[in-house]
Amino acid sequence: MSATSHGAACGVVIGIVFVVFLQQISYLDLSNLVPSLVDLAVGAVVGGVLGAVIGRLLGRAYLARHAADAATQPK
Amino acid sequence: MPHRPFRQRRSRLSLAAVAFVLVALLLNVPGPARASGPVSPAVSAAAYTVTWNGADVSAAGSASSALVIDLTQQANLLFNWTLSAPNTADVSDARIQMFYFGFAVATRDQVLTNPVARASGSIPLSWTPLSVAYLLEGVYRITASFIAANGSTLFSENFYVRDNAPLGIVAILPIVLLAIMVYEVYGLARSGRYEMIGRVPPAATTASAPPSTGGGPSGGGSETSSTGSDSTRPSPPPSGGGAS
Repeated sequence: MSATSHGAACGVVIGIVFVVFLQQISYLDLSNLVPSLVDLAVGAVVGGVLGAVIGRLLGRAYLARHAADAATQPK
Repeated sequence: MPHRPFRQRRSRLSLAAVAFVLVALLLNVPGPARASGPVSPAVSAAAYTVTWNGADVSAAGSASSALVIDLTQQANLLFNWTLSAPNTADVSDARIQMFYFGFAVATRDQVLTNPVARASGSIPLSWTPLSVAYLLEGVYRITASFIAANGSTLFSENFYVRDNAPLGIVAILPIVLLAIMVYEVYGLARSGRYEMIGRVPPAATTASAPPSTGGGPSGGGSETSSTGSDSTRPSPPPSGGGAS
């Protein structure tokens, strides 16, 4: 599992949970099945894409930081 | 990486199985449990009215105009019907249902033991849904229905309520959702280190690199005994670790 896929997985969960949480604080109506599933799917897709982008950026930053650490280690 | 294709195939199979089970569960939901649209009678809709603690629920027909309620407090509903002279209705059941994701999470019935076909009448119904009061909050659709003696729906009306949790946020579901979000945000913030999985660390690469021509090994991990043709060479002094 790479940082991108791990970030996407976290983002999907966050997107779905965020949609349900918006209903709990009265910003969304999830009473009907099909519109609710559409809202959940949109949340999952948006969360997954954003999570993948964030995971990729964090992964590259992590690699760059640790490559720099390895280069600065005493030989 | 010989395991990667097998793991990918296994994850795809599990995803397909989960999707299949979800679709099968949704298709096997019994009909009465699903949400249905309001049923309008042949007579004027104004003949049937429902009040919630004295307020007409027809004014709360959208989520933005929802009735603000507290599910821990008792709600007193009154089902009224008034028809013109030749028409009568044998209402035998007054029912309210609270829907979440299209399914009824709470139902309350007031059944009349001896229903008589009458031109007008009223059925009081009190409801205290304590079972969901500490579980849910937010906006929900409620359907109030007049059920005839033969089981058919004479009239039903949808309206919305906004449930406030006791003491503001003391409901289980939003707390659980908040905990899940915090955990996943923490996991997302730490997802960068997953980039190292499957990669050889730079230090290990330099330690296990073969010796260059003539120079001899210079890494810190080469203090083990040499074999083969290297046994004739003098071993270089260890340069790292605890040897001195």
